[in-house]
Amino acid sequence: MSAQRFADDVRPGEELAPLVKNASRAQLFLFSAATNNPHRIHYDREYAATEGHPDVLVHGPLQEAWLHQFVADWAGPRGRVVALTSQNRGRAFPERDLTFKGRVKTVEVDGTVELEVWEENDAGDVLMPGSARVQLPRRGTGP
Amino acid sequence: MAGAGSLGADRRCNRGIAMVENESLITDEARALVGEVLSEPLSAMITAKEAQRFAYAAGDLNPLYFDVEAARAAGYETTLVPPTFLAWALAPFRPVDQLRGDGLYRGDGRRVNLRVKRVMFGGEEWDFLVPVLAGDIITSTTRLKDLEEKAGSSGSFVLQTTETTFTNQRGEIVARARGKSIAR
Repeated sequence: MSAQRFADDVRPGEELAPLVKNASRAQLFLFSAATNNPHRIHYDREYAATEGHPDVLVHGPLQEAWLHQFVADWAGPRGRVVALTSQNRGRAFPERDLTFKGRVKTVEVDGTVELEVWEENDAGDVLMPGSARVQLPRRGTGP
Repeated sequence: MAGAGSLGADRRCNRGIAMVENESLITDEARALVGEVLSEPLSAMITAKEAQRFAYAAGDLNPLYFDVEAARAAGYETTLVPPTFLAWALAPFRPVDQLRGDGLYRGDGRRVNLRVKRVMFGGEEWDFLVPVLAGDIITSTTRLKDLEEKAGSSGSFVLQTTETTFTNQRGEIVARARGKSIAR
């Protein structure tokens, strides 16, 4: 389990430790199954080519789930992700590193933290820029 | 389609009418749907098992999704549902003869007819208001929030926004998802 993070210790400008993901084709298959998504661009390379894609694509919602994981792991078990936005800017492919990065924008006295977050591919292109709002506990509070 | 209203349905291709120059991509019929509910409310109990199937598939082994003791230590009654799974948890299963050539199901909600060829997932904005626990019964309703025609570098396109509201068995709004899709 990730360690608990406290609002008291967070400073604006601080960077989050990056999270690297690399999806196998089998993982894409499992994600299609878990979301009951039969869209062929995620498992049928020949079909994906007919839509102009050089390979099958990593699902936007899988990248979004990773973005949530990245922020929730940073926040720790008693932190809570209360808002998450993401924009789908570019295609993500399997068997390639996808790196999630982030930076603290603001920290409020009530423990609300605003983050700038984004996903890059292995060429450094930003595929999914976004933002998150996290509610962190303060030291000496909570269960 | 509900969860899928904000995600899957938007990503489906609208096989549109042939384009006429200077004609708006947004039909009057589509414009009349702004603010309207796109599909009947969907409701289902989300089990720990299906929540965990999603978490495993995403490679997210957060103990709050898997371990009741870890969830209790963090102040929850039982394990949590990965929040973005809400978009998928309520979508109904359908017969395979309803699949289209691209593999997607034919939509059964109200269609937003635009004069476009293709709809792409543009992004999403989530508000997670109340934690969703395994065993919660969640109901979702999707509305067409906005249609906006824009000029892009490769021609004009429509930015379509749907908003799905998720409510639990106590009537609390647990989440809102505003899905953006780009139709061109």
